[in-house]
Amino acid sequence: MALLPLVRGLSLGAVGFLLGGGLAAGIRGLMGLDPWSAEPVIVVGYVFGLIGWLLGVGLWGTWAREWLGLAPKKDHVHDWRRYFRFCTDHKVIGVQYLVTFMVIMLLGGLLAVLMRVELMQPGKTLMGPGQFNNAMSLHGILMVAVAVATIMGGFANFLVPLLIGAEDVAFPRLNALSYWIIPPVAVLLLATPLMGGFDAGWTAYPPLSVINAPGQTLYLLAFLTFGISSIVGGMNFLATIITLRAPGMSWSRLPIFVWSIFAAALISLTATQFVAYGLLMIILERVAGTSFFNSAQGGAPLLYQHIFWFYSHPAVYIMILPAFGVVLEVLAHFSRKPLFAYKWVVGAFLSIVVLSFFVWAHHLFTSGMADYLHLPFMVTTELISIPTGVVFLAGLGTIWLGRLWLTTPMLFALGFLFNFLIGGITGIFLADVPTDIQLQDTYFVVAHFHYTIMGGEVFAIMAGGYYWFPKITGRMYNDRLGKLHFWWMLVTYNLTFLPMFWAGVQGMNRRVADFPPELAGVNLFASIASFFLAASFVVLVYNLVVSWKRGPVAAANPWRARTLEWQTTSPPPLENFPAEPQVMGSPYDYGVPGSVHSRPGIAGGAQEVKHAQG
Amino acid sequence: MTKWDLFPLAAAEEARVVDDAFRVLMIMSVPVFTFVLAALLYAIPRFRKGGEPAGDGPAIHTHGPTVATWFLATTALTLLVIVFPGTTGLLELRHHAAREPDLVVKVEGTRFFWKMTYPQQGVLSVTELVLPVGKRVRFEVTATDVVHSFWIPAFRTKIDAVPGLVTTTHVTPDKTGSFQEDSFFRLQCAELCGVAHSLMQTPVRVVEQSEFESWVAKQVPAPSS
Ligand SMILES: [Cu+2]
Ligand SMILES: [Cu+2]
Repeated sequence: MALLPLVRGLSLGAVGFLLGGGLAAGIRGLMGLDPWSAEPVIVVGYVFGLIGWLLGVGLWGTWAREWLGLAPKKDHVHDWRRYFRFCTDHKVIGVQYLVTFMVIMLLGGLLAVLMRVELMQPGKTLMGPGQFNNAMSLHGILMVAVAVATIMGGFANFLVPLLIGAEDVAFPRLNALSYWIIPPVAVLLLATPLMGGFDAGWTAYPPLSVINAPGQTLYLLAFLTFGISSIVGGMNFLATIITLRAPGMSWSRLPIFVWSIFAAALISLTATQFVAYGLLMIILERVAGTSFFNSAQGGAPLLYQHIFWFYSHPAVYIMILPAFGVVLEVLAHFSRKPLFAYKWVVGAFLSIVVLSFFVWAHHLFTSGMADYLHLPFMVTTELISIPTGVVFLAGLGTIWLGRLWLTTPMLFALGFLFNFLIGGITGIFLADVPTDIQLQDTYFVVAHFHYTIMGGEVFAIMAGGYYWFPKITGRMYNDRLGKLHFWWMLVTYNLTFLPMFWAGVQGMNRRVADFPPELAGVNLFASIASFFLAASFVVLVYNLVVSWKRGPVAAANPWRARTLEWQTTSPPPLENFPAEPQVMGSPYDYGVPGSVHSRPGIAGGAQEVKHAQG
Repeated sequence: MTKWDLFPLAAAEEARVVDDAFRVLMIMSVPVFTFVLAALLYAIPRFRKGGEPAGDGPAIHTHGPTVATWFLATTALTLLVIVFPGTTGLLELRHHAAREPDLVVKVEGTRFFWKMTYPQQGVLSVTELVLPVGKRVRFEVTATDVVHSFWIPAFRTKIDAVPGLVTTTHVTPDKTGSFQEDSFFRLQCAELCGVAHSLMQTPVRVVEQSEFESWVAKQVPAPSS
């Protein structure tokens, strides 16, 4: 019975839901309130259901038994069924994340296509404005989740332990928990249409998010649960990178991707807690009638916007720092040159972490917050251009005089530089208060953040995906299809989103199902381009699926890269390395005569014995 | 100058400040974009190997003068855009806002329409926002239900309408015109407020003072509050 844990999780989840829902109804009944009010019952039911699901899916057998002094059950499954179980192997968890979020990305993309169909012409095309707002809101949160979790949950899980020469992460069970808490998030989000959807955008500003359909509550619970996964994941990576580095892996020898995950994990652990509180406050507003944000009862709608962006601006660096990491990693190995200005890049990452906490109010320049806050937040926001500039310097400096191997991942990394350049420059227009007053809430903003997140991060995800595909699957992808995908996506991506800057300047506001007739041309153009962009993903999915099944078997190190993940088999064995490797030098010393990054450990050797004792 | 106006239409003094800032940023962006793009377009064909390279590139870990130059240049550029047009534009808008208004219009957003009250004239309108040209207007904006945003593209002004809060913005229209001529003359809700958010717009008309007065004469008197 391969799927037994799933069945157990679902049944215990259902039991928990009924228990919690009944409890809520009972308490309401005792209080003399209508017992079957939907939202309180759903919220309490969900909390119990979530606990039931987690216990059933594996928490009980592998973890909770210990609390009661029982021996934890060992899972002896080693074939494909691991991917459907509470498996603590970081590589399995990495693949679970990657596949899950790939599917979510396709779903979010499908919604984007539906939205572009609606926006092909003024007036109603496909959906009514209500359906459009629901589709837009769902698209937003699905893609935010993809942007947060694909690299941090997927690549980082699979690769960070390998890159630092560790056997696993610091807290493997917590790691499995961070993944298995996500299916309920997906279920909630996909159930929102059954409860009227949620039409307040992924930002969920009150009072709208307090008075709209019950689907909003499902959304809030989903985002909150996803936040827990992010917090736990961030903590785990910090502990792993701090404590599990192989002997000799000093901080100055850490691959840049690991540094980027370290920096992003700092944000993920700390900032996410703020948005969790914000979401919780809206849930309480809806089910318990608190009035944090209700001005009629002394609350302040603006308060939420501050709390929300206090997380959600730093969150864009949870998305983009790991993308910088992937891109610089790929550029160095395929230029066969040391990563240019490595220490400056590390400094840039860490200063971005610090700065990211002091810029949130740039989302509030037109919100009515106090005028004197405009200048300081404009200054801090624009200061981020300086460390971002260092990343570009590192990118250009690395390829300069290099021996470029234009593989598919390398093309995507270079494409990242081009797209992110546009995304970064247009960000200045939104950071400068005078221009932001006009551009805020227009398609200029839509174009800008798609250039950073899709043109930027998703291109980095593609670079990382093709780069590590042979390591993860043990097979090689089809290179011609990979290159076809790159050029197709680069061209159609830019044709889709460049016109949106223009639409914004021409007065098209965002999150609208309809627009003035003057904007028909530019919208039709962007829509048609977006359909071709969507089609490029067919090439990707075909290549991934077919290559994973039937691609040529990959060598351990097809790229002749120096970092540790390539010094073991593809895919790596359960323990990653036969024995703990010894790190001798920088991972990027290409062209340095006689240099080595690592030496394989000797099984049962001095290091190994010491490790076993420790 | 006109060809440099990327925005289709500017009809207020404040709009010129915004457009100037936009133009300055465009001018600064071009060399930065071109420089990085040129570096990429030169480097990729120049340093590419057909297929897998045999050996390694030169072991250049960093280059002090390049890093220093780059760092100083990006810092200087950043400080420049902070000061100009950022701070200068901001101060100019503040300076406009500090002047005494000739006309006060109270604007109230409710799903999904705008209500404009002219307290000095004692009239109100929900179908159209009419303003006299060349007069300084202060908008006092609020909302009754959810957050909306008061945006008139032709004036480059935008301020959220928040329940329980009165936000203000100042505009001096300097060109007559109407929604029928250009959709930039519209009061558009710019903050997602629910199902008919995209339809929450009201035509704007800027007219001569005399025409404004005859318009006022025809409006419903506002209930005195
Ligand atoms: Cu931000
Ligand atoms: Cu509105």
